[in-house]
Amino acid sequence: MGGFQWNIISEYMPLFVEGTLMTLKCTVICVIAGTLLGLVLGVGRLAEARHGFYKYFLRYAVQFPVRFYVSFFRGTPLFVQILLIHFALMPLLINPSGGLIVSGDFAREIRSQYGAFMSAVLAISLNAGAYVSEIFRAGIQSIDRGQAEAARSLGMTYMQTLRKVVLPQAFRRMLPPLGNNAIAIVKDSSLASAIGLAELAYAARTVSGAYARYWEPYLTISLIYWVITLVLSAFVQHLETRYGKGDRRQ
Amino acid sequence: MLTKRLVLAAACILTTFAALPAAQAADPTYTVGAGGTYRPFEFETPQKELVGFDIDIIKAIGKAGGFNTKLVSTPWEGIFATLDQGDRDIIISGITITDKRREMVDFSAPYFPADQVIITSPGAKVAGLADLKKLQVGVVNSSTGDIAVSEELGKASTAIRRFDNTPLMLEELYRGGVDAAVGDVGVIKFYIKSHPEKPFKLVYDNKFKRQYFGIAVKKGNKVALDKINTGLKKIVADGTYAKTYKQWFDADVPTLPQQ
Repeated sequence: MGGFQWNIISEYMPLFVEGTLMTLKCTVICVIAGTLLGLVLGVGRLAEARHGFYKYFLRYAVQFPVRFYVSFFRGTPLFVQILLIHFALMPLLINPSGGLIVSGDFAREIRSQYGAFMSAVLAISLNAGAYVSEIFRAGIQSIDRGQAEAARSLGMTYMQTLRKVVLPQAFRRMLPPLGNNAIAIVKDSSLASAIGLAELAYAARTVSGAYARYWEPYLTISLIYWVITLVLSAFVQHLETRYGKGDRRQ
Repeated sequence: MLTKRLVLAAACILTTFAALPAAQAADPTYTVGAGGTYRPFEFETPQKELVGFDIDIIKAIGKAGGFNTKLVSTPWEGIFATLDQGDRDIIISGITITDKRREMVDFSAPYFPADQVIITSPGAKVAGLADLKKLQVGVVNSSTGDIAVSEELGKASTAIRRFDNTPLMLEELYRGGVDAAVGDVGVIKFYIKSHPEKPFKLVYDNKFKRQYFGIAVKKGNKVALDKINTGLKKIVADGTYAKTYKQWFDADVPTLPQQ
């Protein structure tokens, strides 16, 4: 291999720096959006009523669509979803020649400035939402039924029970899988280089393409990804000790 | 168990010896790597067969230069590393000869002039390379166009958007994701011809340095390189090159420089 040629990395330093920032930006937005989406979907997945109109409404208008959504986004590769959203869905919505939401010159402007970023964030968030919804579902289901029943008999509404009794307890148990998911998002963002998003993997691809060397760029971004995930898991660890206190017997 | 292995080993040795004299007498077979998404240079038919200008050229060179070709579709990403690892003996994949790449691999004599062109939407006000400075420009990763645009905008510029292949890049341009794109005239024209529904404008600029495609072999593989260069010379002299060129690009056949 002829040693590690530092000059290759230093020459493309701006690309690596910008790439790291883009990866971080993408991760933060996707983790937040994915978690919120997952919460809504997870609650929707469990929504059920015993009697009357709501029984059918919740089953067919909430539960089934959510199940379908989760099944689709877990059942197809994220890479395919990114390409699908960028080259099929987004052009329908934002298109200089007749987009459903934005069209004309403004659409051109948006697409050329933020197109790849928007598609990547949308795809990864939608995908993460599907996985997170299952984490929420498992977390909520793991809380003893008696907890909810007790809250309801105290006169709390369904939402109150969820917000004040079930979710806080479930959240503790959900932290490790949520942390896992966040780490997965960091790495998944590398797939967006296919649509030209200038993140970390994109920087490495550019360099390896220009120099026909693979050792330096890919080792460099591996280290950067690793550092990001280490920091992230330390943060999750911190949250776990903080929110885990109530459970611990001294 | 042991006898089985012994028999197997004996069989292997025997076949190797049996095959050796035959292989020495006949022409060597080289494994040739080519990408599959660079129409009309190399692309795959629905039957997974590689076809294109490059493919026809390397087959003709092999016939004239004295080697057999075994074509293997090889993604552009990591294509040079396959030479070092011994997975491929030859790569022909619309590879522009650059000084940097010369440090990694050995190139044959040039076999194709890679002229560059700027593509924009019909309404865009772009007259030449200099107008690209404030725009988002799509290129194919590490292509000749990438090199030319990198010189103009700075190689680490994030206004350059690098894609895996030309169709992806042109789709992005068509959808307004980039303001302009730069690519090989041959490939671009072929794309436009097969997608008449997409209006593009071509802008030529003679500031583009003329670059050439070369055929790559592992550094120091002089045996293969000599065969390739001999073959190339022969097919240029006997008109096979011109015939193949006209078949894929209905344009004047260029004169190739000698190295």
